[in-house]
Amino acid sequence: MENNTKDATQANTEGQSAPGKPKIEKCRSPEKETFTCWWKPGSDGGTAANYTLFYRKEGESLTHECPDYKTGGPYSCYFNKKHTSIWMIYIIWVNATNQMGRSMSEPHYVDVTYIVEPDPPLNLTLEVKQSEDRKSYLLLKWSPPALVDVRSGWLTLQYELRLKPEKAPEWETHFAGQQTQFKIFSLYPGQKYLVEVRCKPDHGSWSQWSPENSIVIPSDIKMKDTTVWIFVAILSSVVCLIMVWTMALKGYSMITCLLPPVPGPKIKGFDTHLLEKGKSEELLSALGCQGFPPTSDREDLLVEYLEVDDSEDQQLMPTYEKDHPSQGRKPTQLDPDNDSGRGSCDSPSLLSEKCEEPRIPAPTFTIPEVNEKPDDPGTNVTHNWDPQGINFKGKNPYFNALGSKSSTWPIPQQSSNHSLRCSYHNIADICKVALGTVNGPTVSLGKEENHALNYPTTIDTGGEETTDKQNELGHFHSNVDQGTTWLLPNEKMPFMSPRPMDYVEIHKVNKDGALSLLPKQKESNGNTEQASAPDSSKEYAKVSRVMDNNILVLMQDPRAQTRVIFEESAKESPQPLQHNQAEKNLSYCTFPPGDCRLQTGGLDYLDPTCFIHSFN
Amino acid sequence: MCPKGSSVKGSLLLLLLMSSRFLFKAVESLPICPSGAVNCQVSLSDLFDRAVMLSHYIHSPSSEMFNEFDERYAQGRGFITKAINSCHTSSLSTPEDKEQAQQIRHEDLLNLVLRVLRSWSEPLYHLVTEVRSMQEAPDTILLKAMEIEEQNKRLLEGMEKIVGQVHPGDRENEVYSVWSGLPSLQMADEDTRLFAFYNLLHCLRRDSHKIDNYLKLLKCRLIHDSNC
Repeated sequence: MENNTKDATQANTEGQSAPGKPKIEKCRSPEKETFTCWWKPGSDGGTAANYTLFYRKEGESLTHECPDYKTGGPYSCYFNKKHTSIWMIYIIWVNATNQMGRSMSEPHYVDVTYIVEPDPPLNLTLEVKQSEDRKSYLLLKWSPPALVDVRSGWLTLQYELRLKPEKAPEWETHFAGQQTQFKIFSLYPGQKYLVEVRCKPDHGSWSQWSPENSIVIPSDIKMKDTTVWIFVAILSSVVCLIMVWTMALKGYSMITCLLPPVPGPKIKGFDTHLLEKGKSEELLSALGCQGFPPTSDREDLLVEYLEVDDSEDQQLMPTYEKDHPSQGRKPTQLDPDNDSGRGSCDSPSLLSEKCEEPRIPAPTFTIPEVNEKPDDPGTNVTHNWDPQGINFKGKNPYFNALGSKSSTWPIPQQSSNHSLRCSYHNIADICKVALGTVNGPTVSLGKEENHALNYPTTIDTGGEETTDKQNELGHFHSNVDQGTTWLLPNEKMPFMSPRPMDYVEIHKVNKDGALSLLPKQKESNGNTEQASAPDSSKEYAKVSRVMDNNILVLMQDPRAQTRVIFEESAKESPQPLQHNQAEKNLSYCTFPPGDCRLQTGGLDYLDPTCFIHSFN
Repeated sequence: MCPKGSSVKGSLLLLLLMSSRFLFKAVESLPICPSGAVNCQVSLSDLFDRAVMLSHYIHSPSSEMFNEFDERYAQGRGFITKAINSCHTSSLSTPEDKEQAQQIRHEDLLNLVLRVLRSWSEPLYHLVTEVRSMQEAPDTILLKAMEIEEQNKRLLEGMEKIVGQVHPGDRENEVYSVWSGLPSLQMADEDTRLFAFYNLLHCLRRDSHKIDNYLKLLKCRLIHDSNC
């Protein structure tokens, strides 16, 4: 073999030189029956170079030229079946020739046995099928490349496929062996999958990947499932309809059962925002109570002895230990705790919304709440003020026992629910304190003793004879000056539950028109305006009604006497007895006047709130 | 001893022997069936499957061995130019393309395979011996050589069985090519020795591929009726 290589660097005057040395790059056989070799030309040296390929076979001495320069493309040589021998080394070289010279490539040794690289598989089909157990799978099918002879066993192909969801970053590769189909399970319905397949002959190279094929996996809803879903939908819609119908019919009651309306505090001058902020000091001062929570001197105001009569008409008045008003109460009914803020709010006479009858406010508002809350002086017991107010359904024996015992307090008959519910709790505490101080028929707190406003004032309907009205007010303002506490029902204060109301002894009417309530034993009903001197043994007088001109009509005896408790100047705006500095901040339990209704006859007392309101 | 007991023992022993015979039969790799029996076709298929499996398996380490040797020892030495027409089995007129292979009779092809296989028994033995003694040879080449030698024996046995089934009676008398390259393998000159190894491995790779190809052709032709 000649290695005639002209020196390519030699150039003629025109800059032309012999062609550069070509190089055989690659030889490939697609089916182990033919093969093609490609070469890369060197520099052509300025003029077109002619390339020729020669080869020699192992065991032969003859040199042959390339039989086909075209089939394989430019710079290629295609050896057809006739010229291809297997298990034999070919020695191939390329000559480049131009005007100036020629050059020859390095010989290339190639054995077709080891250069087999088939074409990709053909006819890749994807199909979604159902297996016997209703599972769907993807069936891939393909066919071997066209040129490869697999049937005779000349080539044995192995396949490999890869698939991925359309947007997935990586392929999932599966080896398929020699089979031309493949099943793939566990594909995501609704996804589009891309699939490619390639093949490799035994002891050869992998082909390129076939063109991509894609398929969308359908959703997996079968007809039977559809029926089931329809049935489920109908059933659920029927159930929903039933529920809606039930809600419509009984919605209101259900709602009230589930979410009982929360009474809001309705104390005039009371700022609920203060409650939210938790500034009890400010709040309490707004209520007109000082020193809340009551300090230990409140203890004095606590009723230490309570005698309660269970009888319907009467109950024992709690005996007063001290001058401070004692709270007549049933342990179950009244909260002896003067700290309990029930006070006026608890008073059955405290009817913010409905004032069915005059009632003597209980010295404590406790009626509903006392039962609920233990006496615990100093504790802030939040009472649930009955938004409905204290509703004595007419059976309150408030003061029917007026004559009977001096220290008899009517027992609220209705003990079930707290008709009197103050919506504000802190104030309830305040009131409770006031209540605590209020005892007996009179609720008056010595100012020195009770600075807290929170005494529910049981309005003493007057001295001993005064009919006590239960003051539903939530606040019991202790009048510093007078030592009386006013229990001014808050407008919003609900009235006490229709229980027998406690009594408030109206001590006197202040010059500024405020009712002063006195503890029963302390002061006589010296209020000139009050009813006439009561029976000494009788400490309370029932207020039968309030007249327009703010005249309390008292009943001398439980039966039917009416007495004017007092009257005040209508013009004068009632003021709480307490004249503390923060008078303006005092909050009162007030009741809309319109709510007051007078009852005669069986009524034992008048709701002080009715007339208190007039003071405002 | 109670005669009854001995007879029981004897029968147990016989039972044991029979079962062990069956067990041994199951362990046998190549079932033997009399020619002409219907079920022999199945066993021929099994024989061919096993033969093709072996031949396919043998070629892989051969190719790897050659490539490894070529990379390690033969670079730049131009061994390939010298390895032209230097295999000892090239005297065996084996088909050189598909048409020739399809035209040859299967009996002749089978005999050819046998010859090639027989021709490699001795070279493989010496290859292992010499590679083992070659200090610079890595273990991988040695292990592969050993494996190839072992499997080549099995393949030879299987092919003899196949030939015994396909056309018994026409047995050749151990015709094969003689390999005479052993002295070259033991040459002191490194270049000569390395080329001897190179050439041996080169020829082994080629012949193992040939055998594999022939057997696959035969299998498709005889078992699957040219419809693989």
